[in-house]
Amino acid sequence: MRLLSTSLKPTSGTAQVKGYDILNEPGKVKKEIGFLSSDTGLYPRLTAFEIVTYFARLSGMQEESIKRRVDEIFEILDMNEFGNQKIDKLSTGMKQKVSIARTMVHDPDVLILDEPTLGLDVITSRSIIDFIKSSKEKGKCVMFSTHVMHEAEKLCDDIAIIHKGRILDVRTLADYRKKTNLNDLDDIFVKIVGE
Amino acid sequence: MDLKRVKIIYFKEMLDTLRDRRTLISMILVPILLFPVLMFGMSGLVVFLTKKAEEKPARVMILGKKNAPYLTERIFQDEKFKIVEESDFKNAIKEKRIEAAVVFSEDFERKIEKEDSAQAIIYYDRTEVKSDIAMGKLRDHLRDYEDSIVTFRLKKRKIEKSLLYPVNVKDENVASKEKMGGFMLSMFLPYIVILLALTGAMYPAIDLTAGEKERGTLETILVSPASRGELATGKFLCVMTVSVITAILATCSMGITAGMSFAQMGSFTGEEAQISIKFISIVVILILLLPISALFSSLLLSISLFAKSFKEAQSYITPFMLLVIMPAMISFMPGVELNWFFAFVPVINVSLALKDALLGSYNWGFIGLIFVSTAIYASFSIFVTKRLFEKEEVLFRT
Repeated sequence: MRLLSTSLKPTSGTAQVKGYDILNEPGKVKKEIGFLSSDTGLYPRLTAFEIVTYFARLSGMQEESIKRRVDEIFEILDMNEFGNQKIDKLSTGMKQKVSIARTMVHDPDVLILDEPTLGLDVITSRSIIDFIKSSKEKGKCVMFSTHVMHEAEKLCDDIAIIHKGRILDVRTLADYRKKTNLNDLDDIFVKIVGE
Repeated sequence: MDLKRVKIIYFKEMLDTLRDRRTLISMILVPILLFPVLMFGMSGLVVFLTKKAEEKPARVMILGKKNAPYLTERIFQDEKFKIVEESDFKNAIKEKRIEAAVVFSEDFERKIEKEDSAQAIIYYDRTEVKSDIAMGKLRDHLRDYEDSIVTFRLKKRKIEKSLLYPVNVKDENVASKEKMGGFMLSMFLPYIVILLALTGAMYPAIDLTAGEKERGTLETILVSPASRGELATGKFLCVMTVSVITAILATCSMGITAGMSFAQMGSFTGEEAQISIKFISIVVILILLLPISALFSSLLLSISLFAKSFKEAQSYITPFMLLVIMPAMISFMPGVELNWFFAFVPVINVSLALKDALLGSYNWGFIGLIFVSTAIYASFSIFVTKRLFEKEEVLFRT
């Protein structure tokens, strides 16, 4: 995921995101993606609004469209209540919402989300899952990593099972069920990893 | 490099930095308050304590009173002394029960009468200010007495006192008050400007690199469309701004404080000095401040970018600070002058050029050369900083 986000360079090989090479056109790749992981923190001394606006400006958006987009995204994620509060005053769930807003503000076509619901309460977690679902329905490509199997069941078209840094299998949930004769993704995961 | 994006990064970093209490303290509070507290506190305290010690009668013991009854009586009469009796005068001085003791030799009075030279020994503790002051008072008193004896002996022989002093030596300081002020300021100010340009840059440099690593925000910005070069430039300009502001504030505060403080010290030491920095000297300070701040900012950014945490960065920077402080102190050294060699040595060159400028000597050739050479070092250092921002092993050092 870090390689695709261009924050790390591959030792060999390359990849393309929306037709842009991660080695030769990292700037263009970064404009097309929204990347979120547990390592992408937020500036504690800035407000939610300032952070989201900052990243919108960095992606080259015009001031008028920034305002519109920020209002829209704050509304969708229900962030207006704490928009002008500094990050270090916010709860984990609020911070994660700001991170999602930061990832989505430039309306990227590709979303790379590394465990976006980690450590969140059920309600915040559900609102984030719903938001990802709606992004998917809008035709965005979402790459989503999780340890919570029912999230993968709920969201993913294609599921890659990764164990010890290697992809063991990639297929749809239906195909996994057919292959393993198991219904639950937890059981499917354990079976494939055990093989 | 997209300059618009550099501007966005710069303004965000400035906003973030100005909300950091540590940076605000080192950027505004320290340069403004350090000098008044240090100089008024120090010189004021010295003047106050010395005056207090001088006003208070010195506790003195006289040994051999019978040997010099007249002189003993004179000392008794003098309000500056309080005569005390002790069994062991040396111990009494050590234990601070008395400040000093004077011992008149057995044949004191006889020798004075015979018009010979008599001996008086003053015992005191030089490491004790009060004792040192008491010694001075005793010596002055004895000199007065000596003077009256000399006058008496000369009068007896009908000799004019001027016979003893065929050459009347006087020294007259032709330096104006302003020059004296400039001389004092020329020692302190270069060092202070350089030091504050460094300490001003320190906190933001650490905060915007190692601090961001610690908070996990560095990776957030790395996945944004901003390039590493734009990021390095925006951060560098922010650190440099803080460094320049700190040094300018320090210069103003030092100029104002020194003007008042030296006047206070001047009244104490007898030297008259007036501090006023000429406009042209301020121009020179600003010209040379820019490249040296740029050099410090980029070096500090590089060092702290390498560190994994705020604490680690601080421990890397401490030896670096010593490397800057030592050459900056060259302005205190008498007789060291700016030459072709020093003009190329970073920090030393700026320190000496600022010293010259504050003394009213403007060698524009050297100033230009120092500006260019320091700017070249700074450019190289900025280049290194930018390269470090492109290195994964530095950014993601674990």
